[in-house]
Amino acid sequence: MKSLKIVGVSHPIHDAKAKVRGNANYAGDMQLAGMQYAAMLLSPKPHALIKSIDASEALALEGVETVLHCFNTTERTFSRFRTVSRQPGIMNQERVFNRELRQVGDRVACVVADTPEIARQAVRLIKVEYEDLPFTTDVYEVLDGALADMHPEGAFFEFEREMGDKSLVAQDCVETVTHSSLDRMSHTAMEPHACVAYYNKSMDEMTIWSPNQTVFGIRTVVADLFEMQYHKVRVIKSTMGGSFGCKQDWILEPIAACATLATGKPVKLVYSREEVMLNTSCRAPFIADVKSKFTRDGVLQSLDADVIADAGAYLGNTMAYLGYQSALMPRTYKYPYARYRGRGVCTNGTTSGGLRGWSSGELCLFVDHNFNMAARKLGIDPLELRLKNVYKPWEKEMADNISLEEIRTKECIELGREKFAYDEKKRADADFNSKNERYQRGVGVSCGGHFNGYFPHALDFSGVEMRFTESGSVIVNVAVHDHGCGTVQAIKMIVAETLGLPVDMIWCAEGDSTYNPFDTGCYASRSIYVIGRAVKDCCHKLQEQLLQDMASALGLPEEDLEIVDAQVRSKNDPSICFNYTEAVHKILFTLVKEVWVKHEYANTTNCGVTGTHFAHVEVDTWTGMTKILDYMAVHDIGRAINPEICRAQVQGAALMGSGVALMESLHTNPKNGKSVSSLKNYHVINAWEAPQVQVLFVEDGLTGGPYESKSIGEVALVPVAAAIVGAVNEALQSDFCECPLNPDKIVAMMQERRTKA
Amino acid sequence: MRLEFTVNDKKRVLEVSADKRLIDILREDLGLMGTKEGCGEGECGACTILLDGKAIHSCLLVAAQMSGRNVTTIEGLEKNGKLDPLQSAFVEEVAIQCGYCTPGMILSAKALLLENPAPTETEIRRALAGNICRCSGYTQIIRAVERAAREGGAAI
Repeated sequence: MKSLKIVGVSHPIHDAKAKVRGNANYAGDMQLAGMQYAAMLLSPKPHALIKSIDASEALALEGVETVLHCFNTTERTFSRFRTVSRQPGIMNQERVFNRELRQVGDRVACVVADTPEIARQAVRLIKVEYEDLPFTTDVYEVLDGALADMHPEGAFFEFEREMGDKSLVAQDCVETVTHSSLDRMSHTAMEPHACVAYYNKSMDEMTIWSPNQTVFGIRTVVADLFEMQYHKVRVIKSTMGGSFGCKQDWILEPIAACATLATGKPVKLVYSREEVMLNTSCRAPFIADVKSKFTRDGVLQSLDADVIADAGAYLGNTMAYLGYQSALMPRTYKYPYARYRGRGVCTNGTTSGGLRGWSSGELCLFVDHNFNMAARKLGIDPLELRLKNVYKPWEKEMADNISLEEIRTKECIELGREKFAYDEKKRADADFNSKNERYQRGVGVSCGGHFNGYFPHALDFSGVEMRFTESGSVIVNVAVHDHGCGTVQAIKMIVAETLGLPVDMIWCAEGDSTYNPFDTGCYASRSIYVIGRAVKDCCHKLQEQLLQDMASALGLPEEDLEIVDAQVRSKNDPSICFNYTEAVHKILFTLVKEVWVKHEYANTTNCGVTGTHFAHVEVDTWTGMTKILDYMAVHDIGRAINPEICRAQVQGAALMGSGVALMESLHTNPKNGKSVSSLKNYHVINAWEAPQVQVLFVEDGLTGGPYESKSIGEVALVPVAAAIVGAVNEALQSDFCECPLNPDKIVAMMQERRTKA
Repeated sequence: MRLEFTVNDKKRVLEVSADKRLIDILREDLGLMGTKEGCGEGECGACTILLDGKAIHSCLLVAAQMSGRNVTTIEGLEKNGKLDPLQSAFVEEVAIQCGYCTPGMILSAKALLLENPAPTETEIRRALAGNICRCSGYTQIIRAVERAAREGGAAI
């Protein structure tokens, strides 16, 4: 791979200095003159109809501007998941304030007041009369007919998909059937959701600031909801304190828009952690049955997955999530035939949304657990079984028939095997386990694949404008939405590398729906692979424009000029040499024009991108506690643009996925429909418990991404839970996959085993 | 109540209700937006400040407890236009992603270094156990604290 000056060298995130000073401006930190503060009343009921609302006492409180609820706001409905105008397959099931409340935490009312304290005080004065409706949080009851009237479209949806060629499946196969489940999970981005909105009545213009993944997505939803022209709604992405998928559903933006339209004043709405947990989104609970067929020597012939996702109160993205999961079936292993059945079921639980990896980590857990059980049956080591079934470079996958290009799963497995000392650890564990009764150790390995962008499933398009300033620096205008993981910095590095400038000579905008060229959002790990590629191509176009303009300004043939080290030079005459500043001025004064370009890029590739993770755990069979002794993540990354940020992301993903596997549960009480709503009862791994996570990258380039890069932010999470669960099952020689495998479940399993013995 | 206390070396006199939380006083009355609220119940550490040199959750303190006390927020670490060694080390070690935990994380680390100028990795992990970072695996953060300890971070 070509050695580069900036790309591949670790840089702090673009706003690191603001963040250490505490002056990065998150939406919750914003102050506008005359600002009003909103506070929410959320439903205490899992399913109820609002009979009446008496807000008179709240309205009488000094400092209260208004109280909004289902009887005085729009009856139009929206989908929290919609990101594109006229997006197919969308169901508009929610109002800003619903009259039929379908989950604990559904939006009942909102007080707008002079201070947050007054707003919260007034919320307690609102009197609501509810009519209880039958409720359930059990997907099987819904599949049997419960909640049939909750939505006009019905309460559950399903599809089946076959991929590949069934006739190619070998006859003499070993069949393995596994059952897995995953409880509800909270993204737990550290920044709770927040939004500021201001409707200027005189101008009939609305501005919305929020941490979000697509300003254009919010624009289309809010403008349609309140029947405004799109140019009248400007959405600006604010500094985002983490998303992991939780800030891709539109919940606060419609409320804040509704509140500012009602008052004509700027309104700030900041959710508490409890409100985030109850009223935004979570990762769905899943139930999955997987059937695999392997030949006796371990070659995968078919996979059959039957997956149920609990969508919660509103369908949101659930069917798209499952559709995506079906397309992920052949992104890791190669085999001739797959069948996928997905069922999305609405219940009265917390509404589900996308999590980092967008169903890929869940699929990896279900499939890799099955692989581990199949490996036992076949008498083949789990790692060897994976090696037998990974892709070779440039093979095509069967879901979309696209090439996986330079996929390097095999190299990742082999590198990890050596560096993690996989075989040595397994031998040592066998010895350790034979000498210990209480503590048992195991090693798990998992491979998980993902995408780089939407192609070929959705519009994978990005527009970029790029211009030179008179001082020779560059302004990049592109709708990026940094989740806090360094997208802006990576874009700046790509531009600096390509144009031969220092990084601080580049300015890169974040999402602004009025000024940015159109784009389809920062989802699906497309920010670098697709938007970064658009930006890099745009750099080349800018250089071409500069050469063309300089040729005109100097009266020279264009082919006589070249750009070397940020200078426009004549190939023949060394005295003709202009740095960017001089060149820009020459063009300005000679041709009376600015040096700028617009570039549009529609992505048409989606190379294979996988991670192979290794976990070594020790389970205390008495307490059920699992300790992660060692962890290694090996990623087929193409090229790491900003390596330390990539490593930090992978390490963060390893903790998040370990939490999914072992402890994180936004559990819903079936008796009252209430989910966990506090970090006191929702434990995430902290610095004390965090294992050392070693990260290795296989970098061999040759992808369609900028500087041969592939995606990393989401794929990093994909194999984690599967590796940890695999290690626990290896330690205990058990076969369960009911995540999280918390101490209660492990102790119960051990007790059951002892009773049987 | 009339509250007299010191914030970032500056005497402050405020008229606030006795049950107003310190985090709200800092953010709403003093405009110190660097102190972040992540959970409001002392679980995440985003709102950590220094109270008389010790790290504490500002969401769990109220005005009535603050008279005469000395508070340092993230805005108070930079001296004479120079970042605190902890702040510089967090930047240099790439210990920041979304940044929402950063102010609290740095102040917990500051309290540690004030008490223990040369902590071991284990001591750093223990001191930061109440500060949740969801983006990273804490590796770069721990490295930053180690670096700051070497580069004079124990002074205030």
